Formats: sequence, C-alpha cells, structure tokens
Amino acid sequence: MSGHDSKYFSTTKKGEIPELKEELNSQYKDKRKDAVKKVIAAMTVGKDVSSLFTDVVNCMQTENLELKKLVYLYLINYAKSQPDLAILAVNTFVKDSQDPNPLIRALAVRTMGCIRVDKITEYLCDPLQRCLKDDDPYVRKTAAICVAKLYDINAELVEDRGFLEALKDLISDNNPMVVANAVAALAEIQDSSVRPIFEITSHTLSKLLTALNECTEWGQVFILDSLSRYKAADAREAENIVERVTPRLQHANCAVVLSAVKIILLQMELITSTDVVRNLCKKMAPPLVTLLSAEPEIQYVALRNINLIVQKRPTILAHEIKVFFCKYNDPIYVKMEKLEIMIKLASDRNIDQVLLEFKEYATEVDVDFVRKAVRAIGRCAIKLERAAERCISVLLELIKIKVNYVVQEAIIVIKDIFRRYPNTYESIIATLCESLDTLDEPEAKASMIWIIGEYAERIDNADELLESFLETFPEEPALVQLQLLTATVKLFLKKPTEGPQQMIQAVLNNATVETDNPDLRDRAYIYWRLLSTDPEAAKDVVLAEKPVISDDSNQLDSSLLDELLANISTLSSVYHKPPESFVSRVKAAPRADDEEFADTAETGYSESPSQGVDGASPSSSAGTSSNVPVKQPAAGSPPPAAMPDLLGDLMGMDNAIVPVDEPAAPSGPPLPVLLPSTTGQGLQISAQLTRRDGQIYYDISFENGTQGVLDGFMIQFNKNTFGLAAGEALQVTPLQPGQSTRTLLQMTPFQNISPGAPNSLLQVAVKNNQQPVWYFNDKIPLHVFFGEDGKMERAGFLEAWKSLPDDNEFTKEFPGSIISSIDATVERLAASNVFFIAKRKNANMDVLYLSAKMPRGIPFLIEVTASVGVPGVKCAVKTPNREMVPLFFEAMEALTK
Amino acid sequence: MGIVFTRLFSSVFGNREARILVLGLDNAGKTTILYRLQMGEVVSTIPTIGFNVETVQYNNIKFQVWDLGGQTSIRPYWRCYFPNTQAIIYVVDSSDTDRLVTAKEEFHAILEEDELKGAVVLVYANKQDLPGALDDAAITESLELHKIKSRQWAIFKTSAIKGEGLFEGLDWLSNTLKSGSS
Repeated sequence: MSGHDSKYFSTTKKGEIPELKEELNSQYKDKRKDAVKKVIAAMTVGKDVSSLFTDVVNCMQTENLELKKLVYLYLINYAKSQPDLAILAVNTFVKDSQDPNPLIRALAVRTMGCIRVDKITEYLCDPLQRCLKDDDPYVRKTAAICVAKLYDINAELVEDRGFLEALKDLISDNNPMVVANAVAALAEIQDSSVRPIFEITSHTLSKLLTALNECTEWGQVFILDSLSRYKAADAREAENIVERVTPRLQHANCAVVLSAVKIILLQMELITSTDVVRNLCKKMAPPLVTLLSAEPEIQYVALRNINLIVQKRPTILAHEIKVFFCKYNDPIYVKMEKLEIMIKLASDRNIDQVLLEFKEYATEVDVDFVRKAVRAIGRCAIKLERAAERCISVLLELIKIKVNYVVQEAIIVIKDIFRRYPNTYESIIATLCESLDTLDEPEAKASMIWIIGEYAERIDNADELLESFLETFPEEPALVQLQLLTATVKLFLKKPTEGPQQMIQAVLNNATVETDNPDLRDRAYIYWRLLSTDPEAAKDVVLAEKPVISDDSNQLDSSLLDELLANISTLSSVYHKPPESFVSRVKAAPRADDEEFADTAETGYSESPSQGVDGASPSSSAGTSSNVPVKQPAAGSPPPAAMPDLLGDLMGMDNAIVPVDEPAAPSGPPLPVLLPSTTGQGLQISAQLTRRDGQIYYDISFENGTQGVLDGFMIQFNKNTFGLAAGEALQVTPLQPGQSTRTLLQMTPFQNISPGAPNSLLQVAVKNNQQPVWYFNDKIPLHVFFGEDGKMERAGFLEAWKSLPDDNEFTKEFPGSIISSIDATVERLAASNVFFIAKRKNANMDVLYLSAKMPRGIPFLIEVTASVGVPGVKCAVKTPNREMVPLFFEAMEALTK
Repeated sequence: MGIVFTRLFSSVFGNREARILVLGLDNAGKTTILYRLQMGEVVSTIPTIGFNVETVQYNNIKFQVWDLGGQTSIRPYWRCYFPNTQAIIYVVDSSDTDRLVTAKEEFHAILEEDELKGAVVLVYANKQDLPGALDDAAITESLELHKIKSRQWAIFKTSAIKGEGLFEGLDWLSNTLKSGSS
C-alpha cells in the first residue's frame, strides 16, 4: 500500500447538500432565495433536505413574501423530523403574527397550525390569541381554522387557553367568512370530542342564518351542515329556519343544495301544516332534478342521496320519474342507481311508461344492467298489484326472446311473483317449462324447481321434469340440491304414486348418505322422519299455506334511514351506512348494533324480496336463496370490538377482559426489571415466575421505548434445574412505541432438566423481529413449585417429622426478615402454598409449623421461629431431598420478607 | 497609481459585511440592544424563542446581527450559528449577580468552540442604569476575561435603555475588524 491512495478520500466535490448550505448562508439575498427554491425543489421530488433545517430557517426573517412562503413550506414539511430545532422558528412566527401586513399575519398563523410539534405548540398560543382578535377579518378567519388544528394536536391546551370561547365569539363576528370558518372549526372540534362543545342556541341560530346569505359557497356548506344539528323548538321556528334556508336550493353548488335539502327534510318533521309540507316538497323537486344534469360522478352521489329521500318522502319526486330514465350513454353505476329509484317511484299512474323503459333496458347489451332491469319488472309486479298482470306479460315477452340470462332472471322473479300472488298466474308455467333445458345458473334452477314442486299437481309431467334434474343431483350446488329435495317431497305428497316414490327414495338416500352438507342432510332426515311417522302431518307441514310476501327488501330500516338522512351529502349517505361504521373517531365507541346496521344496509341492495321465513316451510328457502346481496362499494370495516384477553380468560381472573389494543392493565404488583431499557436498546423486560391455580406462569412485561413498532416476540428458556420450559407460544401483540404489555406465559416443568447441583438460575432469551436476541437471567423461586395439595394434618406432620433422620434437618436464620403479624404471615405463606399446621409459644417467641410439597411428592416440614415485630426469623426444615434445601431457604426468605 | 489603490481599498471597505452573534443569558437585554442599534429606539420585547436577525450599517460596515434566544432550552442551538462569524457580542446583565457564574461558564464554553476561533469578542456589561449593577472592572473579573489570550476582546459599560455605551462598543468592533483584515 502506498500513500497515494489517500487522494481518493480528499475529493474536491462537496455534494449537493453542502453546496446548498453554502448558498443558504450567502450574504446576497438573491442567492439565498434561489437556494431556498432549490431546497424546496429537492424536497418536492422526495430528496431528504432536512439536514438544512437551521440554514433554511435562518432565511425566514425576510421582507420578501415569496421567500417567506417558501421557508414556511419547508417548515411544514420538516418541523416534525427536526422537532428540537423547530423551536428556532418560534420567534419569527411571533414577529410575523404582529407584522403590519395582514397577509403575513395570516400566513404565520396558518403555518403555525400545520406544525405539529408538541414542544413549540405552547409558544404559539399567544400569537394565535392575538390573531383571533385581529382587526383584519382575513387573519381572524385563518386563526379560527388554526384553533381546530391546534385542538387536534393538544385539546387540553385549547380548552385551557379559552380558544373555544374565542371561537364561539367569532360566530357573532360581523364578517360572514369568519363566522363560516368559526363554525367549521367548532364542528370539526365537536367531531373529535365527546363533550358538547358546539351547540347552536336560538341566539347563534339567527347569527348563522344571517351569515349564510353572505358567505362563500363552501362557507355556506359548513353553516348548513352545522345548522342541520339544530333541533328547532317548535313548528314555527322550524318553518322560520326552512324559510331562510330555502333560497339555498337555487345555488349552483351541489353541496350547498344537498345540505339545504338535508335541513329542510329534518325541519319538515316538526312542521305540522300539511300545506307548508306540500309546498316544500314542490320546492325541493326542481333542485334535485337539476343535480342530475351534472357530471356522472355528481349524478351518482345525487342519486344515492335521492334514493334515501324518496324512501322518506316519495311525494317530492313522484312526478319526476322521467328524469330517472336511463340515457344510453349513462355510466353503468348511474344506470343501476336510476333503476333503483325508478322502482321506488313506480306507481299505478306511471307504470306503463316505466314498464316500457324496463323492457327497453332488458334488450340492452350490458348483462348486469339487463338482469337488473328484468328484476325491476318483477319487483314492480310485486309492489303494484294492479299492474302485476302487465308486468308478467312483459316478462313473458322477454322470455320469448330466448336470451339465456334474461330467461333465467325472469324465472327467478316469477317465482317471487307466485309467492306474492298465489294461484293467480300459474297459467304461465307452461311457457316457463319450455326453457327448462337452458337453465344453468343455480339460482334460476332452484327457482324453477321450486315452481315445479309447488305446482306439481297442475303440471302433468312434473315427475319427469324433476327426474331430469335428479340425474345430476350429486353435482348440483347446495342451493339446487335443497330445492330438489323439497320439491321431490312435495311431489310425493301430492302424487304418491310409484314414480315419485322411487324418486324420493333416491333423493333421500343421496341427501343423507352421499352428502357432506349438514343442512341438506338435516333437512332430508326431517322429511324422512316426517314421512315415515305420519304422512298426513308431513302434508300439513310441507304443503302449509305460505304467508304473502311484499317487496320491501330495498327499504332501509326507519331508524337507519333517519340517521342517514341526517347525514345527507356526506359519504355516509353515499355508502348508505352510518358514519361510525366506516370512520373511526376518537369518540366513536364500539356499537353493538353496528353489525345489524351493516346487514340491513346490505339487504338494501339485495335484488329480490326475502320474506316469509317460516321455519320448516321449504319455500322460504327459495325466497331467501334468491336473495343474493350485491356487493356495494367497500366501506371499511366496523370498529374492532374489544377482544377479551384469552389468556386472562383462561385464568379466570377478575380483570380477564382486557382489550388487546390497549396496554394490558397490570395485574398484580410491578415486576422486577430483568432487561433494563439501556441494555435492550429501548426495550425493557420485566418478569417473574408465578403460580396461579396450580399452574406455573411466567408473568412477563415488555415496554417498548424504541422509536418503532416491535413485533414477533419469541421466548426461549435454557436448561435449568427444574426443566422449566414454555408451555405455549408467547403471544404479544405488536408493540407501538411507548406502549407496554404484560402477559402470562404458561410454563411446564421437568422438560429439559440440566444436570448438576440444583440452582435457581433461569436463563431466558427473548427475540423480536426488529432487535437482536436479548439474554437475561432470572431466579426460579422454589415456591412456584409448591403444590396446592401440600397441606398436612397434625398427625401426619408429626409422623413424617419423626420418620426423617435428624441429619435431614437444616436451620437458617433470616436476619432481614420480620414477622409483624402471625395471621398476615400465615396468609401470605398460604398464598404460596406453604400451609400452616400449628403454632406454639416458646418463651417470647412464636413457633409456627408449616408444610409444603413439591411435585413428585417431596415434602418440606417447616418450623419457623420468630418473635412478632422483631427482625430476625429462624427457619428449620426437614425434607428427604437435601439438595433442594438452599433453594428452599432462598424462597422462604423471600416469602417472609 | 496611488489613487487607484485608495479607490480599490475604499470600495472593499465600503462593502464590508460582518456577521455578528449577540449571545448571553436570557433577560440580559440582547434583543433590546439589537433594536436599539438598528432603529435607535427602545422596543418592548418578549423572551426570544429562536432568533432575530437585522442588518445594522455602522462605520461603513454592514453588520448582520444575529440575536439568539438566551433561554436554557435554546442555548444548545447557538452552535448552529457559529460558522463564519467574525465577532461575538456577549451581553451580561450586570445587576444579575447571582447568575454571573453561569454567564461566565457559558462565555468560556463559547470561547472553546473551534468554529469561533477567529472571532473577536465584545462584552457589554449591560443594565448599568439599574442600581447595584457591577461596573466593567467587576464584570471583567467575574467573567475572567483576562484568561483570554489568543483573541482581541473589549468590555464596555452599556445601558440599552438609555442607549449608552452601545456605539462605543460598535466603534471598537468596526476598528478591530477593519484592522484585523487589512
């Protein structure tokens, strides 16, 4: 090696960051500005320029607004990664918030709110306070939003500094934009707080209604949404509110219109005068119709909201059904929604028009749309009795065009029509049977088979038809198998001739012996027993009259509907789900009925009636089987319910229910620290062996003091005297930074015994996915092995004592131990399975006789001598196992301490 | 030839810029001094959490004066401002005798810094208007200024409120900087 190679280390190139650093510290303003621009450019493309923090912040005090804005932008981006240095910016914020230029004041306060660094939040309160009372409305309105941001960072601070009151004062501001922003901020704060913070009183109501007319469109949306939470005192006030809000319906912004509709709908509940209500309904129709001339995406949102509105107040749009007719170039999602609303608006008056439309749609190319159109015809038939015949004739016409999926869809809805109008339209069965061979979808097949079974007596060749299906019985989907079974039973009951008898034998055999499906097997067994016990009873059950169905599968539950209506023009009304089910908020407590709501919402999408769940009646399954929920847009999962700590549950502890996502509540006294966080690179482990309910557990607690999440914890024990090993896998949820968790790990003794003289050393290794393996030592306290069965009778004790040779007796003094109360000590020892047998007084000393027992029948006969309240305890023990004595004394010393 | 040289010199000196740090414990009067120097008036101040920077033109030198917050929490970040510094103005509250020891420790810690090796030191024994304020000699003693060997330093009695002594100090500073570089 020669010295020449050193040149590679002394390069003249400095790299981008030092170059930028130099430019940022240049004495020329222009150069500094250019440098900051370069830094921002680098930041925007994702380069890490956080190391230039102080240099950029030093450019902050400038007259140049452009440069200031750039530095602020940088600060927002990097303050979080340099929380300590961010404090250097505070003074400049304070100065800027007092700048003569309102733009700079507002800029400062806006940026301050975006800097989410705890350390400096406190310093920013004074400037914020000033800006909330600024002379310039632009500054005040910016400050109002900043309060909401601050609340998100530190709610307590906001409340302590009286910012909430200041916000409420701003509602009375003379500038409408300030009012709107104050309302927006308060609403935002209310959303994340459980306490009532923002409640509109009749006083604020008039302020808001006044500001409503003057502020910008989005300001109007904020005010309207907040107003929708206001409960009017009486009909007069409600009318007054509605009157003031109605002009918003003419607004060009869809959000304003929908928010206004929301308020009017809510206040209408209170209005008693039918004239007023009718008038309002009339007024709401045109704006809603106008929404449908917007872009398809907005149309979709409008349609989802209208879907709710027509369920509540069908009269509003009763005369407007034509606007929901699908245009050829509507996107499919708009068409589907329009169809849904058309069904809801269909009435005896407009059904002819609607049917013509549906028939048209049923010949389009998009399969999903065509199917939905066919179903829509069926649903109209079920909904409108007087139009049923017309609907059916349309369906028959469609069947005649022999398009496979149209036919299958038609058969599915016709089955529902038969349920709705029994014994009315059976004449069409013949037509249906013509298409029997073309059926290949399970649902259509199942429906057809149900029809054959139900009307077996009127179909001459019902047995032949069923037989043709039976050939493929084992291959059919469960849905079809169940219907085949039921239909065959019906056929047999109606025509108990030889053919059906053979069929029923074959089917029952197939369904009981050959199948794995428990539903099918159970149903088959029920039929079998019914038929073999009492065929007449079987007839009564199987051929019982079925209740009439109606079409309300697409109706939402009324309480859910009201909740959704209160959320019109939000995501909730588009999903048709209550907000809690897809937004997790601080205050959103897990709701037991969320699941139910979700279910209801989903049935809201199902395409056919699902009525008549009447126990064993087989037809009901035909009804429900056709009820396949269509998946709606994914809406997030419901908030996770608190999961019980299974381990704690097993243990039967009082505090067994411990939500997993919280640090487990410490059960019992703090554990000794075995791996301090200084050794464990931030991870601290405390643990102790403990005995509960006759089992040995390793009570272990992890505290994550690192910056990242720790997961994948595993534990391993080295060979030890007692062969203690983990009896199960260590279950520790991923630990967030700062989080700690405590768990009980079941241990099994005598697994992997280390030879040699007994000692209490327990060597433990813990690993996780993020860190190296940690090793630490623990002590095995002997008393964890003391069995619950260690109690001896006086006689037995004496006998055992005598039977053991005297050189098996050992004595030790515990100078540090003290017995302050005999009862307490006895109780404490008993908790560790050292049982009290007798006591006597010897001079001023108390002598206690106790017993304990190790597994494998090793007894310890114990004599404890001490005087109450005086330090120093003498312990004598007799045991056949002399090797354990030192460990025993160790344990006793700990127990009497 | 001589005329050309003079011009060259004056143009060099005329554009002279100097970067100066104003340091000292909290409540020593740094921000008041800065604005007294810049605007010539007394402004009401609040504790500086961070920094102030202003340009002061004096004696043909453009001083870029950085006034850094003196609170304990901010002192660690002083070092971010050390590079390229020509002079330090160290401000001491002469009436705050209890904290003179702390002031001394901070002062000597600054002098130890490598990056400030070439910087000249000007000490302002501030708040001379207050009763019980120590004079420059006493402050010199307390700060152990005599221990400074390898750099130029001076101490001035000042009162930022009354405006006394500040510009005398700045005179010394500009002269020292001029002579130091020529």
